[in-house]
Amino acid sequence: MSERMYPGYGRDERTSFAPYGAFEVPADLRELFGRYDVEAMARRVRNFRYAEEWAMMILGGWIATIPEVPVKTGLGKIVWDCAQSADAFGKRLPELRCGRRAAEASEVSNDGFAKVIQALSEPESPDLTIEKIAGVFDALKPHLLAVYERTLRETDQITDAPTIELLEDAVRRTRKHIAWGDEVLERLCDTDGKRERRRRRVRELRAQLEACGGVTGTLADEQGRAH
Amino acid sequence: MKRFIQHEELARDSRFTRQTTALSSLIAQLPDDVDAVVALFEKFDPIIEKSTRGTMAAPLYDAYGPGFGLMTNTSSLKPGDPATETRVKLRMHGIYVGELQALEGAGRSLWDFPDAPWEFKMNMARQCWDETRHVQIYEKLLEHVGAAPGMFPESTFLFECACSDDPALRVAGVNRGLEGLACDVFRDMIRYAEEIGDEKMRQAIDYVLADELTHVRFGSDWVREFCKNDPERLKRANDFRKQVDKQFNFGGARSERKDSAIPIAFEDRREAGFTEEELKELVALCGEGPSRETMREAARVLRERHLAKLAARGAEAKS
Repeated sequence: MSERMYPGYGRDERTSFAPYGAFEVPADLRELFGRYDVEAMARRVRNFRYAEEWAMMILGGWIATIPEVPVKTGLGKIVWDCAQSADAFGKRLPELRCGRRAAEASEVSNDGFAKVIQALSEPESPDLTIEKIAGVFDALKPHLLAVYERTLRETDQITDAPTIELLEDAVRRTRKHIAWGDEVLERLCDTDGKRERRRRRVRELRAQLEACGGVTGTLADEQGRAH
Repeated sequence: MKRFIQHEELARDSRFTRQTTALSSLIAQLPDDVDAVVALFEKFDPIIEKSTRGTMAAPLYDAYGPGFGLMTNTSSLKPGDPATETRVKLRMHGIYVGELQALEGAGRSLWDFPDAPWEFKMNMARQCWDETRHVQIYEKLLEHVGAAPGMFPESTFLFECACSDDPALRVAGVNRGLEGLACDVFRDMIRYAEEIGDEKMRQAIDYVLADELTHVRFGSDWVREFCKNDPERLKRANDFRKQVDKQFNFGGARSERKDSAIPIAFEDRREAGFTEEELKELVALCGEGPSRETMREAARVLRERHLAKLAARGAEAKS
């Protein structure tokens, strides 16, 4: 009798193919269960989208108000990066049971974070490039990077893998942005007075971010757990 | 940060100086009359002279007087012509600052219209990156032809006339009017690069032209979307685009004639989504206002008067 190629219905009617342990070599050490359920992750993704969308709009508005041409052109690319991150977060939302029309739904975590965004966007005059760049690249983006990294570490590695992929892209972009901002600020802050302006701006915004719980509004809780 | 800034508020570093934009607006409204053109330029002579001082346009002013721009705008780029080198530098610099303003305009569209549809914001964000690359490309090309940013005065006319506070009008003016103009100018630059065998220039500008077609398509799509079920707004948007087209004819320098300084790039415009009716309208618009011959004659008169004035001043100083 030839070997069975397809399973039958009886107990002995099995095929002769050996089970292939794809996840045993190496062992799949991932475990089910993450810190965020579907609703919690959807809320975070809406919050992330809000931050990226506003970063895109603010930076876009500043291009015309910044006199340094390489800073203008650097921001032009970063505007597009932020747009792509916001777009990718938005496209994840319908997959997280937020409805088909949810792809454009940014959501601020609380009034405090909306005020942070307001404060970030305030510098306008051409002599405030330091305040503009320090606000976004020394304060907001390092905060976003930390939250993105924590989220991708703590969410379920199997069930929420699509969010992890988006966050990995956002992390890669955000790291580049922070490095660019640092390079720009190192050049612009060539006196003690200017270095102090940079430090002061970051101090103020970090304090505001901490007070409101950051982009997700849950910073204190998350940091407490981490400690 | 406030919304809707004025063109005077565009931030620049110390290399740049400004050129008055009033003149460009007025030229578009002039009749086809040499005396009218001459009178207008003479009226603006002190402002034109001031804006050239400290830039590489100063020797041009000294040689041609207030109409030096007419000499360059109304002539095509011909290999071997001794004036071509300066014309290429001037045109390249004009494109460079135009790209800079296009970048600023696209960025402002993100900030000025926070409630616009997401796809509109995505298109504008993408345009920011494209314009960024165009600025970088033209900075390299400026260097390639022996020029540099800030070498000539900058007219912020592009930003001034195209950045309306209605998003439908803004995309009609910027994406259809000005990016359409870019198609004409870049096709002509590619023609020139081919004639002189400059493969670096030809290839770089060809890529930029490809981007411009995409930007015109953004404009066509969004004018249609913003004006859906609103014929009044559509009319306003189309009228605004025509007004921008008229203002950027450079006094008849752009036209469908074979000898024009900047021929209309019909094929590129068709590919970008301009209709045959719109192209016919553009041809008609290019025929309005002072002709190229009128502008050239005005430039000649202005030069003669300028040189006579200098000679009189010299004689006065001697006596």
